[in-house]
Amino acid sequence: MGCCYSFFCNDDSSSQAGEPTERTHLLVNPVSINTTVVHANSEDYIFRNANTLPKKTDEQSALNRILQETATNVIDVAALDSHNLQHHEYLERMKHYNVKVQQVMGNNRNALSYKVKLSLLQDIPMPEKVMMSEPINPEDIKLINSFLSSAVASIQDIKVEHKENLVEPFGINC
Amino acid sequence: MVEEVRKLLQDILQKIQGLHCILITDRDGVPLLKVGTDKAPENALRPNFISTFGLAIDQGSKLGLGKTGTLICSYAQYQVIQMNKLPLIVTFITSDTCNTGHILALQNQINPIISTLTLAVAES
Repeated sequence: MGCCYSFFCNDDSSSQAGEPTERTHLLVNPVSINTTVVHANSEDYIFRNANTLPKKTDEQSALNRILQETATNVIDVAALDSHNLQHHEYLERMKHYNVKVQQVMGNNRNALSYKVKLSLLQDIPMPEKVMMSEPINPEDIKLINSFLSSAVASIQDIKVEHKENLVEPFGINC
Repeated sequence: MVEEVRKLLQDILQKIQGLHCILITDRDGVPLLKVGTDKAPENALRPNFISTFGLAIDQGSKLGLGKTGTLICSYAQYQVIQMNKLPLIVTFITSDTCNTGHILALQNQINPIISTLTLAVAES
């Protein structure tokens, strides 16, 4: 039986590695292929180079890879709870963040300030004071209006008189 | 500047009925900014409760939920709405009757603050 096992094992490794060795069969035995398929699914990683070069490190890394893949895919609810922050660590980090936040906010003051503003209108702390203040003198309003109207009239009077050509040719002699 | 940001959050807190607390924490639940009323339940402010969000979305992605953006937990008296802004987590604690959509819409308003605060965590 031992012989038989080693025979399959050899065949397994040679056929999977894809490289012919001195033990490789010239004619492929269909029965042995069937057995390799069974092996290939579960022990593919481990027996890949089992006979040709039995490298411990390869085997170890393959096993580690399997372990890692399994660990990332498994949802271990019991292990989730294990990562708890210690109280002093929590306080330390909170202090650290306080300082950091102050710094970062200070550095990005310009970027933040216009986004932080809620509205363009500002609160008036004592509205009744503003409401109760005396209205503007009607004569002042008249004065402002007359100045404004004369300003508007003068702006409308501005005219551009063109005397020279607007487009001036430069250095075109030919 | 921190005070101004805190004031903005406080304003949001007052404007939305039923909103008890806004917490901006790192993924372990350590707060960077926190505003809240006394109605916010103490247990929900604990770091190990808040950090559960990070674990839950990690594990959820293994189940095929994909990359989770927001988690809304509805309880008998409270809602806990957590947003994935990793390395930060934004947590809103509200009453059960609070308008959830309104809270979700706050994202746009809060995003500039988050992006600045991310620097504080990233640099450390």
